[in-house]
Amino acid sequence: MIDIFRALQEQLNQTPHLLRLGRLFSETVLIEVEGQEFYLTFEKGHLLDIAQGPSRKTPWRFALRTDADALQQFWQARPAAGFHDIFGLVKIGRGQIDGDILCLVKNLRFFKEFMGLARPKTGSAA
Amino acid sequence: MSIEPIIGQYVTVKVAGTLRRIYFEAAGQGRPVLCLHTAGADTRQWRHLMNDAEITAQNRLIAFDMPWHGKSLPPEGFQTDEYMLTTEAYIETILAVVDALSLDKPILAGCSMGGRIALQLAALNAERFSGFIAIEASDFQPAWYDIDWFHRPDAHGGEMGAALVSANISPFAPEAERWNTLWMFMQSGPGVFRGDLSFYTRDDSLIARLGQIDTTTTPVHLIVGAYDLTCTPEDARRTADAIPGATLSVMDELGHFPMSEHPEGFRPFFIDALARMHASHSKAA
Repeated sequence: MIDIFRALQEQLNQTPHLLRLGRLFSETVLIEVEGQEFYLTFEKGHLLDIAQGPSRKTPWRFALRTDADALQQFWQARPAAGFHDIFGLVKIGRGQIDGDILCLVKNLRFFKEFMGLARPKTGSAA
Repeated sequence: MSIEPIIGQYVTVKVAGTLRRIYFEAAGQGRPVLCLHTAGADTRQWRHLMNDAEITAQNRLIAFDMPWHGKSLPPEGFQTDEYMLTTEAYIETILAVVDALSLDKPILAGCSMGGRIALQLAALNAERFSGFIAIEASDFQPAWYDIDWFHRPDAHGGEMGAALVSANISPFAPEAERWNTLWMFMQSGPGVFRGDLSFYTRDDSLIARLGQIDTTTTPVHLIVGAYDLTCTPEDARRTADAIPGATLSVMDELGHFPMSEHPEGFRPFFIDALARMHASHSKAA
């Protein structure tokens, strides 16, 4: 899983419009996959650090908790209904989003498109 | 280069005692079909169907921007009012437009909140219409989000709203139309999406009225996309089941804004819906 986040980090650096959209986004996001914690620290739209947990000392702004299969389906070019969006994962009971939701919503396009970077380019979902 | 057949005009009507200058578009000839846009958007959602020569050969499609939306101005004094759409004001506006444009029993086609109000009119004012096409419409949808997110001084409500509703667009939607659909939300005036959502997520008065809809005189057909997280196929099925005689089509590859996000995918479902209006109307007659 950490390899995927490193690939996302690389892709983000090569996606100028996302770096522009995220220029005010400097937060740590917790992605929890079947209990495994990954702390993604963004600085002005760049993903500076990916730290694997568990950690009780790392503050985070908001969290997306899901399972590996759900993420694999999310990263399909054309995901099945419900797997096509992070809020879809929540809707179908395969994900949970908590923490400072307003912070997420203010940066929602940036974060959703960041998460979608692992999709094959033929897909249009965001 | 080509000039589209859609003609845009303005009409002034009185709603809640004040004048509203309303922008509307029309295309085609024949049976009138009045089209209602979703929350936070405007008439442009219908442009693909209004430019469809096969549909407009026998149907006159009319769409209007609700006050506060698109090219319809808010009423005088809006700068100190809080925009909160209500069922009563929504119905009054639609009926005022029907009267002002002298529409004789149009079919009413509405999407999302437009579909919700179409079902309200099916229950309360059916005699003014010949049938109802309720797209991405359900009896009631409480909000899982805070509608106040979309009207605050420290963030752009339109951009946040667009990012949120993108969850309801199918990955089968062409990229260009996905973003054209979201652009309308990005352009929405401050507080307008919030005020629409107030109607959509807080008024549950339709639930008790569904059983009084008489589909033998005015057919009701619901259409729902599988990728719609807001009004899911289960929501639409529950709603259709509560209306005796109502029918439902599920679109496997579409989302919450089908006529806008994926016009080619939606087209056959809309043509089918129009045919159901005709067939049912003839049978009733």
